[in-house]
Amino acid sequence: MSLLLAESFAERSARDRARALLDAQSFRELLDPFQRIASPYLEAQGVVPQSDDGTVVARGTIGGVRACVVATDGRFLGGSIGEIGGAKIAGALELARRDAERGTPTRLVLALDTGGIRLQEANLAILTVSEICDGIVALRELMPVVALIAGRVGVYGGLSLSTALCSQIIVSEGARVGLNGPDVVETESGIDEMDSSDRPLIWRVTGGQLRFRQGFATELVSDDVAVIRAAVERAFEEPRELGPLVPQPFPDPRLERDAFLRAMEIEP
Amino acid sequence: MIETLTYEFPANEGVRQRAHVGVVASGNCEILLEPAVDGRSAIVVRTSVSGFGGTWQAVLARFFARNPVAVQIEINDFGATPAVVSLRLEQALESAR
Amino acid sequence: MSASVRGRAWFERLTAGAKPIAGLPASVLAADASIDGHAVRAVAVVPDPNGRFPRARNGEMGIDEGFGLATAVNGTPAGSAILAIVDVPGQSFGTREEAVGLQRALAASTNAYIRARRSGHPVLALVVGKAISGAFLCHGLQAGWIGALDDAGIEVHVMSEAAVARVTRMERDDLARVAREVPATARDIRTFATLGGIDRLFPVSNPSAPSDADVAAVVHALTEVLRNPRLGLRDPIERLDAPAALHARALARRVRDELRAQWDA
Repeated sequence: MSLLLAESFAERSARDRARALLDAQSFRELLDPFQRIASPYLEAQGVVPQSDDGTVVARGTIGGVRACVVATDGRFLGGSIGEIGGAKIAGALELARRDAERGTPTRLVLALDTGGIRLQEANLAILTVSEICDGIVALRELMPVVALIAGRVGVYGGLSLSTALCSQIIVSEGARVGLNGPDVVETESGIDEMDSSDRPLIWRVTGGQLRFRQGFATELVSDDVAVIRAAVERAFEEPRELGPLVPQPFPDPRLERDAFLRAMEIEP
Repeated sequence: MIETLTYEFPANEGVRQRAHVGVVASGNCEILLEPAVDGRSAIVVRTSVSGFGGTWQAVLARFFARNPVAVQIEINDFGATPAVVSLRLEQALESAR
Repeated sequence: MSASVRGRAWFERLTAGAKPIAGLPASVLAADASIDGHAVRAVAVVPDPNGRFPRARNGEMGIDEGFGLATAVNGTPAGSAILAIVDVPGQSFGTREEAVGLQRALAASTNAYIRARRSGHPVLALVVGKAISGAFLCHGLQAGWIGALDDAGIEVHVMSEAAVARVTRMERDDLARVAREVPATARDIRTFATLGGIDRLFPVSNPSAPSDADVAAVVHALTEVLRNPRLGLRDPIERLDAPAALHARALARRVRDELRAQWDA
């Protein structure tokens, strides 16, 4: 019996994650690093830009069907979305919608690993995120829109809001899905509200396992390329029902914080 | 702020194709490598850690002494050590050959 | 920091006494009004000091606000436009919110506005105070037409000013210098308007307690927009073709064009 070693998805770069999700030999990057479409706003703020702005768009096939994967790189500025990265995602959504309308659908996967909107490009980025939200809802009318949250950062901020609009949401056990990062919550509301150094607590409160248990994700995966590839393909072939965007029952928020968490079956 | 450094080295070998390695993360750098057009190597370094011109010179000189390739290199650096830079250069060259 | 009164003030003036819709959280105001004979459902998020979430009592966009907005917008009567009155200092920062899934609450509201617009309800927004981050994404930015008061109290950004200073560890002067060099980081409404994000600016005499003339100017503009429903039905991506965007968002436009050109190589 052969021992199959799990190959980590989270350890891969954004580019290699896209490569892993697309059928072998089908990967073709758009706006690749050599086109040098990089952020002109960062040097003035003491930051060296990356040649792909930390977001990779690749065409290819998934299960033999036309596909596009957009993957963000959590290692460049926390995977944050600037004008270019945001425009890449919004543009891919727009083109996928056009393809679906024309009867030649392109499967779109948003492999997001991002702390949210890039502070250094704030208002240009937020405009693109509004386009992303609209693009997801528009595309979802015609076909599944797959969010894959399986990196080291997870997904936060406006991009977390965006992925919650997707029709298929695949999360890994190691990923976190929240709106405000733990350090932000701690800074704004104090360490008693959230201790950002308490990593196990953070995963209990926002981790992939919780989100799947809450019904906020359609599939929970381990950090394994083969498992994730299969889950992505299944999301298009056999899409699952994700509940409507209405509140799921929760305890009385007036409860003390720890009691509230316990009532949600989360160990404080 | 950001420091931009440029270097040139003589060359006598070509490379087959371009290569891209690395990431602009703390302690790391990104390298874009392409065949040079005019038989010399030209390197541009953009770094958020200033004042290490001499170190960059030494690292690059050592690399090109071992590999006199005619390439255009762009390095986007976020505080990579000489060891990491050398590794990335080697990785890029291997991809390009 | 005291909670803002602007949202409620403009809501009350613009709905001119129309009965607020029942069954919503106290922090979500909605009413069906008539502007120049056009049916408009006006919606605002306002402070509720008695809110059940301790971190969402100053007008922040929290669990109840996100889902409440969705309910209000989803219930818009057929044939009615929607007017988002925007004065939100940001999202609520709390462990309860993160555990419950605040991203879903904001997605619910965003989804409601998008679906309303796509099904034919013109969506307008009027920024009268702060428009920060996820709160603006889920309440205002999905409008086809966005107006704003031409006032120093308006702020558009992805983080509060205090938080930006903490995160960047920069002094006010340095932040001001960066804002001049990188307009995307400026918080004031006039600079945001140069990015092509605002359709109309309204100088007003009193942003917190609008005069009759202030209200009349806004109503006049809203009337024009309501008479041309196409404006309120525009998708966000159409802002890329606004005159200001040709320059200010040239890079985003270029990315869009390059993707199109390279999509089927």
